[in-house]
Amino acid sequence: MSSRRILGVGRNAAVAVIPLLIILAPLGHAIYVEVLADDVDDAQAFLELPAEPNDGCVRETTYMRFHHWELLREVRDEVVRGGVRKEISLTRCRECHPSREKFCNRCHQAVSLEPDCFGCHYYPAAAAGQREVTSR
Amino acid sequence: MKRREFLRKGGWFLVGTGCGRGLLMVAAASAAGADTRWGMVIDLTRCPADCRACVQACRQENNVALHGDTRHDIHWIRKVTIRKKHQPDGREVSLPVLCNHCDHPPCAQVCPVKATTQRPDGIVIVDHHRCIGCRYCLIACPYNARFFNYRENEDWPNPEYPKRSHGVAESCHLCAHRLDQGLQPACVDACRQAGAGALVVGNLNDPESEISRLIAGNPVQRIRPDLGTEPKVHYIGL
Repeated sequence: MSSRRILGVGRNAAVAVIPLLIILAPLGHAIYVEVLADDVDDAQAFLELPAEPNDGCVRETTYMRFHHWELLREVRDEVVRGGVRKEISLTRCRECHPSREKFCNRCHQAVSLEPDCFGCHYYPAAAAGQREVTSR
Repeated sequence: MKRREFLRKGGWFLVGTGCGRGLLMVAAASAAGADTRWGMVIDLTRCPADCRACVQACRQENNVALHGDTRHDIHWIRKVTIRKKHQPDGREVSLPVLCNHCDHPPCAQVCPVKATTQRPDGIVIVDHHRCIGCRYCLIACPYNARFFNYRENEDWPNPEYPKRSHGVAESCHLCAHRLDQGLQPACVDACRQAGAGALVVGNLNDPESEISRLIAGNPVQRIRPDLGTEPKVHYIGL
């Protein structure tokens, strides 16, 4: 009696837990890759950093990599609606990252994002003298 | 923690989180110059009828689209010729017409997404990121100062300033980006360089400024002040 109940609970638990584990496996892998494993840096594979990293950038590299859009969105509202112009602006990114193709496009293409900043804000896809690879 | 204490602290927490960001924005706005109120005086006695320096300078500075199609062309500032039929001499007056940056802007009142706002310094500006292109503001503006991007603008004469994409409304913002840097608007600079000096932009709240002295010392008129929009573009010799 008691062993059968334990077996029954075990079967139910297995039915519930194993699909949950399968569903959560990609999330766990993502957490491991993005947060836990320091030596795994996928971004380096397709993002070209300037010669002197974090030299004069408004925030540190990790923050900029994940939260630059929040920063730009907040600054955008302050500038357009309040007229508060500080050191942060989209045009200033060009000073250290002259090529949008190597700086913005590679990451955004990898994660299937298409920001529409550059329909209106000038940021040439390739630096002067370089071949333009993508149209956006 | 007692119930009363919990409620009191929770209330203060909610008030604090709700007001914090608003207070920050208010502080930023007051730092941007809430005591400034930008306005413009146009001296038509010094404005030659055939001069288009302000119009061209505005196009160059703000990437204002000129498609060559009168239905789609955009004019932040344009020269309008009116004949004063009701006056005995029936004289013609050529005047630059631009956004009047009304104190009670109808364009901002009708905007369903609050893309058009009035800055603390009185400039009426479009947040093109928010604009959904409904064109209510084009209909609301009594001065026809609003224009819509019916198609993409291919020209980009000034890369330092963004252009507007297809599907948003736009109008003069008194070169807010230049005023924030301490510069004069492009049309004012061009008018001065052309030798006319008919356009003057300044702080209406400062009684010592050039614009305040011009308004105090001349019979100035505004376009359709009867509408109650309180326009801030004043004309001398209209």
